[in-house]
Amino acid sequence: MSADRTFFRDTVERILADRLDKADIDAAEERHFPARLYDALVENGITLMLVPEDRGGIGASVADGAAVLRAAGEAAAPGPLLETMLGQKLLADAGLDLADGLISLVFVENVEVPAVDATHWADAALFDVPWPGAVEQVLVVARVATGHRLIVTRAADWQVAPGRDAAGEARDTITAARLPVRAVALPGGEEALCIAAVLRAAQSLGAIEWAFRRSVDYAGERKQFGREISKFQAIQQMLAELAGHVLATAAITEAAAEGMSPGLIAAARSRLGDAIDATITITHQVHGAIGFSLEYALNSRTRRLMSWRDDYGSTLHWRRSLAGGFTALDRDAFWPAVSDAGLPAQA
Amino acid sequence: MTATNLSLEPPVLTPEAEALRRDVRAFIAEERTAGRLPPPRRIGLGFDRGMSRRIAARGWIGLTWPREYGGQERSALERYVMNEELLAAAVPVGAHWVADRQSGPVLLKFGTEAQKRAYLPRIAAGELTFGIGMSEPESGSDLASLKTRAEKVDGGWRINGRKIWTTNAHHSQYMIILARTSEPVNSRHEGISQLIVDMSLPGVSISPIVSMANEHDFNEVLFEDVVVADDAVIGKEGNGWNQVSAELAYERSGPERWLSSFRLVSELVDVLGPDLRSSSQEDLGRLLSHLLALRQLSMSVASMIQQGKSPNVEASIVKDLGTKFEQEAVRVVRNIVSAEDLIANGRNERLRALLIHAQQYAPGFTIRGGTNEILRGIIARGIGLR
Repeated sequence: MSADRTFFRDTVERILADRLDKADIDAAEERHFPARLYDALVENGITLMLVPEDRGGIGASVADGAAVLRAAGEAAAPGPLLETMLGQKLLADAGLDLADGLISLVFVENVEVPAVDATHWADAALFDVPWPGAVEQVLVVARVATGHRLIVTRAADWQVAPGRDAAGEARDTITAARLPVRAVALPGGEEALCIAAVLRAAQSLGAIEWAFRRSVDYAGERKQFGREISKFQAIQQMLAELAGHVLATAAITEAAAEGMSPGLIAAARSRLGDAIDATITITHQVHGAIGFSLEYALNSRTRRLMSWRDDYGSTLHWRRSLAGGFTALDRDAFWPAVSDAGLPAQA
Repeated sequence: MTATNLSLEPPVLTPEAEALRRDVRAFIAEERTAGRLPPPRRIGLGFDRGMSRRIAARGWIGLTWPREYGGQERSALERYVMNEELLAAAVPVGAHWVADRQSGPVLLKFGTEAQKRAYLPRIAAGELTFGIGMSEPESGSDLASLKTRAEKVDGGWRINGRKIWTTNAHHSQYMIILARTSEPVNSRHEGISQLIVDMSLPGVSISPIVSMANEHDFNEVLFEDVVVADDAVIGKEGNGWNQVSAELAYERSGPERWLSSFRLVSELVDVLGPDLRSSSQEDLGRLLSHLLALRQLSMSVASMIQQGKSPNVEASIVKDLGTKFEQEAVRVVRNIVSAEDLIANGRNERLRALLIHAQQYAPGFTIRGGTNEILRGIIARGIGLR
């Protein structure tokens, strides 16, 4: 790991240790935003890390951002960290002013959005919007017939109807009759989706790693039939299987964040889908009844995985995307397409 | 970095490795043009001494070994790249595979100078095929229970016993066997040694075992009063168990653990059109994502080996995941063949033949070289469960 990446990761781990505890994670389910965590993340520049230096950011790579979100996922940090990190970058790349506060970000398609340079959005409605009540801006990346558009809105201008994701975090429906907007073309719309997808994969990987480690530890603590359940082959076989999912997902996710090719990102998200299924099944099975209680911390990770696995393209979306580039190849062209960098997949 | 004592090393493919990849692809293209590499109709490494000699002529057997023994002193990651290219193109590498991957490295690590000079250059020239004598009729997963004995006689050792599942024994000039050379005192892992046996010696007899895929790869090898010289022992007498444990790591993490059924997937893709049912797209995308993840993991293990680390647990994970993937690939191809109606009424005859053979071959993937249950036991120990 590069020195910069180690520094980012260490910084965020320290902030998470200082500013987030189980009570904060639980309170987030009651719509209490973990403000003291985000104050520290903003103060330390983490939310601007993907913004180029000449726009006041740190100019870190997507792989650096992935390392930070992996730590956040491990800690089950609630709130729109990914959304703010990527949202600030999108604002900077579009030549717009950065947000002073936090950002919520949604990707939409098949939705009527304002034209470039329009000043208002009539009868606007967005669904599953993360934490609109806790942010300054709601950004919309819309796929339109001609490409992509970035719509910048003030969170305070929306009417909020509360909703929740599987982890209990705010995912609200927001509406506005006549919403003031800034609408610009977003040439890198596909890339924005790829970045979001790989960052969410890294965040999920962190949650998977925590759940895996906790389950290994728990198996060494819990005794039944007079010995630790880790001594039973049935438990060993399950956790060994999970170890494979963890390591394979880590390998492809790191490669995707580093290489940023659409094919590797699609592969990472598809592989992640299976790893999440295995993590939820196996970690809960190893924990037995106690893991099913709301009080026990395992579900703070597994329920986030239930929510995150469909963000920024579902597992199925990424599988179709990955397959799409390979179906018209002949026998001898297939392996070079698989093995070469720049895989022929569409995002 | 990842959880619970597991580690990853981001693989860096050097310009030398990419240049080697181009060279191997050019070689494969030449072989195809010359008609020596027809599209395969079966799974399995394939045995072709001529192909092994041509590969050796490029310097690609013993690629990582010192030059003085016929090697090229190139990196483990370069060897990885070469192997994935050869395997993905279904090049028949069976004549030198075991010697290059396993027997040669064991001799290099534990052998005497005389042993290295006697065998390594001939392996690197593509002339020698080696067999591995570990399993016995009564010792499968429980390898330490082996009964083959090498008894000290004047000037050498007298071997009696029976080895089984020996790939290519009928083509091999030599076999490296594991045998008991003394009684154990504290642990039954003691008193076991590795010996190199010339297959032409009196008392060695080979009988074929035909697999359920109707292949004669495996054999049973009987040793009756076979006398070998003192210098047949590899490494330290009684240290065989430790030597074999190190050897198995080479065996577990390579691309052969997840590229056996790739030729079936290639054949499928060859006949697919651009428009697929959505279930087929999902199946194919999922399969490819597992393949790409395994490839990253396999490269990562090669990088760790290159750096002198011993990623034994990670290597076991590659084999556990890889062999399961191989079986899954056959299932997925069968599904897509059904969904897209690809082989009815005599169509795509080669795909049909390959699919039938792959189904017959698949149960062996998760057994050979150590069952997945045994591997998971090793993984469980590695992550701190036992």
